[in-house]
Amino acid sequence: MKSYEVLNHTADIGIVAWGKSLEEVFAHSAQGLFYLIAENPCYKLTFETTVSVDGNDYEDLLVTWLNELLYLFDVEQVFLCEFQITEIGQYFVKAKVKGETYNSAKYPLKHSVKACTYYEARVEEQKPDLWRAQFYLDI
Amino acid sequence: MSNIWNGPLKKIDDWRWLIPREYKKGMLTDGLIFANERMIGEIRKDQAPEQVANVACLPGIVGHSLAMPDIHWGYGFPIGGVGATHVDEGVISPGGVGFDINCGVRVIKTTLSSDECIPKKRDLLSTLFHSVPSGVGSEGKIKFTQPELKKILGDGAKAIIQRGFGWDEDKLMIEEQGAMSGADTTAVSEKAFERGKSQLGTLGSGNHFLEIETVKQIFDPQIAKVFGLYPDQILIMIHTGSRGFGHQVCTDHLRVMQNAMRKYNIYLPDRQLACAPFQSIEGQQYFSAMACAANFAWANRQLITHWVRESFEKVFHRSAQDLGMGVLYDVAHNIAKIEQHRVNGKTLKLCVHRKGATRSFGPGQRDLPEKYCSVGQPVLIPGDMGTGSFILCGTARAMEESFGTACHGAGRIMSRSEADKSARGRNIANELEEKGVLVMAESNATLREEIPAAYKDVGEVVDVVEKAGLAHRVVYAQPIAVMKG
Repeated sequence: MKSYEVLNHTADIGIVAWGKSLEEVFAHSAQGLFYLIAENPCYKLTFETTVSVDGNDYEDLLVTWLNELLYLFDVEQVFLCEFQITEIGQYFVKAKVKGETYNSAKYPLKHSVKACTYYEARVEEQKPDLWRAQFYLDI
Repeated sequence: MSNIWNGPLKKIDDWRWLIPREYKKGMLTDGLIFANERMIGEIRKDQAPEQVANVACLPGIVGHSLAMPDIHWGYGFPIGGVGATHVDEGVISPGGVGFDINCGVRVIKTTLSSDECIPKKRDLLSTLFHSVPSGVGSEGKIKFTQPELKKILGDGAKAIIQRGFGWDEDKLMIEEQGAMSGADTTAVSEKAFERGKSQLGTLGSGNHFLEIETVKQIFDPQIAKVFGLYPDQILIMIHTGSRGFGHQVCTDHLRVMQNAMRKYNIYLPDRQLACAPFQSIEGQQYFSAMACAANFAWANRQLITHWVRESFEKVFHRSAQDLGMGVLYDVAHNIAKIEQHRVNGKTLKLCVHRKGATRSFGPGQRDLPEKYCSVGQPVLIPGDMGTGSFILCGTARAMEESFGTACHGAGRIMSRSEADKSARGRNIANELEEKGVLVMAESNATLREEIPAAYKDVGEVVDVVEKAGLAHRVVYAQPIAVMKG
């Protein structure tokens, strides 16, 4: 099973992610997001923080989770590479995230992602032990 | 999702196509797309027309749900989408503005000719590249404290000019004079401040650019004269927006709107269209925060203007005044504005959402600089980095038919990964240089994704706009040097 795949869109870019659990599909969605920002960005995990967000439902939670990570990327100037979901429910997610302060000379960046949109955002349990999430990003 | 759209498109004339309101449950009005027959085939290739139909479901929509000929698939509204809602009975939707609030275009004039500029273009471009921070994660050269930033969010370009980064007359040549009223910083989150404070005075990346162009063709000499444009003149075009500040304002308020939809019992086919009644607390808070972001963007383009002038002064050893570097105009193409329009014989106060669409006010409109009042406003339409840009002027017809709106650019036809694939192994910078366009980019990936073939032909888009009467062609300019983020 792939962790994630890029979805084509005329102006923007989408990601579809899979996971064996809700935790995993949220972590893989975050990996997909950072893959679009830069390939293989982390060498040393020098940054660590906890992220805690809530949402009205799984889709709102997914969009809010990814937007929180984008906020960290922009403000803390860190690539995030490891996403350890410590608690998750229908209305909240808590995670420990790790990454590295980036240096654009060292890591060429691929895309400036403005935000994760609600457009066609989906989180679904397709069958036992198979979760699928999709979302589109404004580039 | 990139499947063909098979919904009904009724041809009204060679430039107008209607999506009847019966197409979809919830549509409160018809959709109207401005395009020619050939473009319609392309437009059907993705879900943009469905998004036109979705916008027609917004409570309080007035007139048609409109799409300009550069329409393409977006999120929420299509890119090129226009939706006007009644301020008393209708809603405001952050999805009708987008994340890059007040993304827009500014054109600076010069008195230089191409003969004077072309030999120095490499020097100019590297000076600009050095002076204007660009690329993903770039930081501004000037750090602003929170009180300073608050002043900028209220006063827009004026606050920047007062600090010495610009000329007093610049603000007269900006939509809203560079400061949208209604800005209230209490509606802005701490996160937006944090994200925005280091990004003021940066170009950004993606489709944002700074371009040096030569006026190649004059379509209307009389209006060109009013605009101060003539053949072989060098112009500078700046295309950027409100950077991370605007992105965060949109992100924050979209969340608020998700809850507001439940509160006000609004049901829409796309959550990205989430909205609230314009007069509600949620609607007013978004409008106040959006106005702050719009002012951030005008301040951003003002700072960049200052560094552009400094760069030209350095290279030509002449003052910017001597080089005639006044602002032609500055337009927003992602914004919601409160405007009065005549609809079915009545004057209505509307909230006009323009998402990838440029205001195109015709002659005699209030809010236009005195200099342009007799002819209509300059409508600044950038093309892709290989071709050129058009400067049009607003029309009376646009006031009647499109709430005074025209297109905003060429519009993408190729996805980023398709563009990247077709450009792999090619040296895009060399290809453009062979055509006389010098390009410097922070990222090669951006160059590949922004190849000219990824965009519609801007000439064809502008042709439809002109024939539909939404704006009138004045000048065509070709790039000689482009800086991409």
